[in-house]
Amino acid sequence: MSEDREPTVIVKTVTRTVVPLIALTAIALLIRGHNLPGGGFIAGVLTTTAFALLYVIYGLDTVRRDLVTNAGGVGLLSGPTQSYTRAFAGGLALAFGSGVAAMLFDVPFLTQAVVFVDGIPLYGELEFASALAFDLGVYFVVVGSLLTIIAVVGKE
Amino acid sequence: MQPDAAVLVAALALPFVAVPFVPALFRVVGQRVAFFAAAVAAGSFGLLATQYGAHGAVQLPWIPSLGVSLTLYVDGLALLIGFLASGVGVLVFTYSYGYMAHEHGHVKYYATLLAFMGSMLGVAFAADLLALFVFWELTSVTSFLLIGHHQREDASQYAARKSMLITVAGGLFMLAGFLVLAFASGDTAAGRTFVLIGTENSLIANGEAVREALRAAGLFVPALALVAVGAITKSAQAPFHVWLPNAMEAPTPVSAFLHSATMVKAGVYLVGRFRPLFAPELPSVPEWTLLLATLGLVSMTITAILAVGATDIKELLAYSTASHLGLIIAGYGLAGPAAVELGAETGAFHIFNHAVFKATLFLVAGIIAHEAHTRKLEELGGLAGDLPIVAGITGIAALGMAGVPPFNGFWSKELLFETTYFVAVEHGGLYWLYPAIAVFGSVFTFLYSIRFLMLFFGDRPSGLADDIHRPPLAMLAPPALLAAIALATGIVPQLGIDAVVQSAFEASLPVAAEAHSLTLSIPKLFSFTPYLGMSLLTVGLGAVAYPFYGRLHAGVRWARAVDYTSPNWYYDGLTEGANGVSRRLAVGLHGGAFRTYVAPLLLGTAVLALAGYAAAGSISVDGVGAVPPVPLIVVLGVAVVGAGAVARAPSHIAGVLTLSVLGFMVAIVFILANAPDLALTQLVIETLVLVLFLLVLDRLPAYYGEIRSRARGIADAALASLVGFTVFATVLVATSASPEEPIFQYFLARAGVPAEHGPFFSDFGGGSNVVNVILVDFRAFDTLGEIAVVAMAALSVLTLVGMRAQTETEMAERPESDSADDPAATPATDGGRGPASASADDPAPSDGTDGSGGVDR
Repeated sequence: MSEDREPTVIVKTVTRTVVPLIALTAIALLIRGHNLPGGGFIAGVLTTTAFALLYVIYGLDTVRRDLVTNAGGVGLLSGPTQSYTRAFAGGLALAFGSGVAAMLFDVPFLTQAVVFVDGIPLYGELEFASALAFDLGVYFVVVGSLLTIIAVVGKE
Repeated sequence: MQPDAAVLVAALALPFVAVPFVPALFRVVGQRVAFFAAAVAAGSFGLLATQYGAHGAVQLPWIPSLGVSLTLYVDGLALLIGFLASGVGVLVFTYSYGYMAHEHGHVKYYATLLAFMGSMLGVAFAADLLALFVFWELTSVTSFLLIGHHQREDASQYAARKSMLITVAGGLFMLAGFLVLAFASGDTAAGRTFVLIGTENSLIANGEAVREALRAAGLFVPALALVAVGAITKSAQAPFHVWLPNAMEAPTPVSAFLHSATMVKAGVYLVGRFRPLFAPELPSVPEWTLLLATLGLVSMTITAILAVGATDIKELLAYSTASHLGLIIAGYGLAGPAAVELGAETGAFHIFNHAVFKATLFLVAGIIAHEAHTRKLEELGGLAGDLPIVAGITGIAALGMAGVPPFNGFWSKELLFETTYFVAVEHGGLYWLYPAIAVFGSVFTFLYSIRFLMLFFGDRPSGLADDIHRPPLAMLAPPALLAAIALATGIVPQLGIDAVVQSAFEASLPVAAEAHSLTLSIPKLFSFTPYLGMSLLTVGLGAVAYPFYGRLHAGVRWARAVDYTSPNWYYDGLTEGANGVSRRLAVGLHGGAFRTYVAPLLLGTAVLALAGYAAAGSISVDGVGAVPPVPLIVVLGVAVVGAGAVARAPSHIAGVLTLSVLGFMVAIVFILANAPDLALTQLVIETLVLVLFLLVLDRLPAYYGEIRSRARGIADAALASLVGFTVFATVLVATSASPEEPIFQYFLARAGVPAEHGPFFSDFGGGSNVVNVILVDFRAFDTLGEIAVVAMAALSVLTLVGMRAQTETEMAERPESDSADDPAATPATDGGRGPASASADDPAPSDGTDGSGGVDR
């Protein structure tokens, strides 16, 4: 947004509160996707929405300055484009790699498996699906790609 | 003796394997990489030499599951071409060390030349038609690169494009011919095959049945013509000879190697190889002869006359090459009872002789150009004093080319005369034109050969430089060796025949034919025969006409200037005409207006889809007349109102907001239909799009939805209605389709956790959300493809924006910097932007992951 139309304090405050909630929801959707509505794609788009909201309200530069420079520049937020490209490249590698991993067990490419583990505190029995790794890849590809596009087009 | 598969594959693969080492070696040893290349060629030659005398096919499994195998076939003809490619290769690489000393682009040059040599060996030994085609086109591609070696020069670009267009286009005709042959073979008892020769079921082994199948389908002559077009474009026969003189833009060693000794021989090789298939033993003259012998002789004569009109020594040699290739094709083309054996002898022997004397002459031309710094015939003369050894070499080769006894070219030309004579005696009438044309054309061959030889004799033109040095040893040894071979073959022709020609010509005989052994020797010259008379007549007429060479030269040049008889005029007209058409087409199709892209796309999709439904006939549509529940009616009603509001929205912001009303209503429809995943996706996408619009909204132009004219408004409305109707019909048809065994039952059964299970299993999905299990398990490969598309879209955006920034910087720098900087960069940028941006603008494919996101767009 251009400088002369500064967003109101209300919008800024709401955004500040809402964005972590959206992010949390997204992660919940990602993890529970195997058994309940959700999944990597939806979670990815939702996460992107959270970031896009930040960009719209605070502007690209503020986000980078406050969240990246002051916070030490770690993680996904370390600046538009470069870390985003890393995210989608890594996601693609993860999804592909999870498929290749199946081949190591002498089953066809992208075969998924499920493991039930007993004796986890609080949960008792817990199900681990290898599909989660694949879904995580989908998630990172979606987040990385969409944010790359937003950042690049936004900078224009 | 059966060929050894491992040795054969090693010989073929060696040049290709050596290619990647050229850049690295060049860094270490510099230009001496030429000797590495020569060693590779020598290695291939040595490996092939171990197969000398072998005969038969080897089959290597390639894609066993599809029954595709690579078949290699070894016989005399294949070995002849293989020895020429690798043997002349050794000499040319050695020669290049001297010739290319002051040139640039050595890495590209040697790497491409090696790749060419490998491809040529592939052409020679591939028995499978598809493999033959691939190697064939590889020689065209490498030839393109080598002709365009001086890639910044217009003449080189023109020449490279011309040769590429003509030879590759011819290759496509040939491919069509191959397909016809393979399909025809499907009607025979042996079954469909692409293997030409060597196996029990090959086309040639079943020649009789294949010919019958072709004739039954009326495809005999078309198949023959299609294969012949491939051969004559490659071998530069009239009227496709025009690319060869231009190809002389290539460095001279390339001309010697590709455009005289080997690549252009691919065409005549093909003719020799297909001869047993198309020219069986018949009592009459086959179509094969009428087509190829006539074309070969006419082409030989026309290009020999054009050679007399040449002003440049390489141009002379180029036309002469086309002429001699015509002779070879005529030899192979002459078939029928009188000529079936003699014709094959002519072809095979002249392939050998021509490669030897013409490569010599090209290397000599390179020496002259290198030392005298000119290639113009009129600026050269009397060089024998400066270059005595070269003069001797040229004498041997040029007299061979002229067909003067007892030099090597004489023997094979004599065989041509003999063949044409016997065909004429056998059939009489118009067939006497064959010997007449052969003699007439050969007179011109004699004339230009002597003209080339006279570069070394007579007066020295005043403009010629005084400091003509003797060439370095690396440049002198190869032509000297070739001339020695030519001389030996001339004096004792039996040497060449026994070495390889005898077995090579046997390969071109009909399957059942018993070959007698060809014997030629000097004593034959002392017993007079009609065809010896033809040779003497040629030499005599040539000697009488030579004093008038200047006038003939001028006459040919005058005749060449006539537009309508010049293939060049047609070629240039066609290519330049195509330029204009493509420019207009580009402006029409790629004008930049959004309308021009969208309207045909939507119209085409709608019409094709509806036509498809209509063509499929009656499709039952379920649920017509059923009343939907009230909530659905309310939601859809709101959606319709929203859609109406979008069309009437006065500004971007109103349009975006009302559009999202539509999107959210669709999401509610999904909820009502018990599809929470789709609804979630739809909601999230809708939100994201809304936020994105807000991000870019104040950058968009202010005007909105302006209807320029009434007619256009009506047209747009009609198109929109059509698209709407198509989507409506598609939904109806698609939802009514009910396959016998719906796959969702399998998904439902397999998605969850089985009742009895161990701690680890992989045959069930193990998740209660079927949609997600489908996405990440059952259809994970699809999802992988889709996320790859998403990633690619992001990469395209990155690249395009980056390139735009780069182009803008370049544009800003352009005035100061030299424009010769890098002309290739800018067009590539512009060209890249068009097609790629179409996919990058629209991340819609990602929406397709859940099959829902894009519904309302």
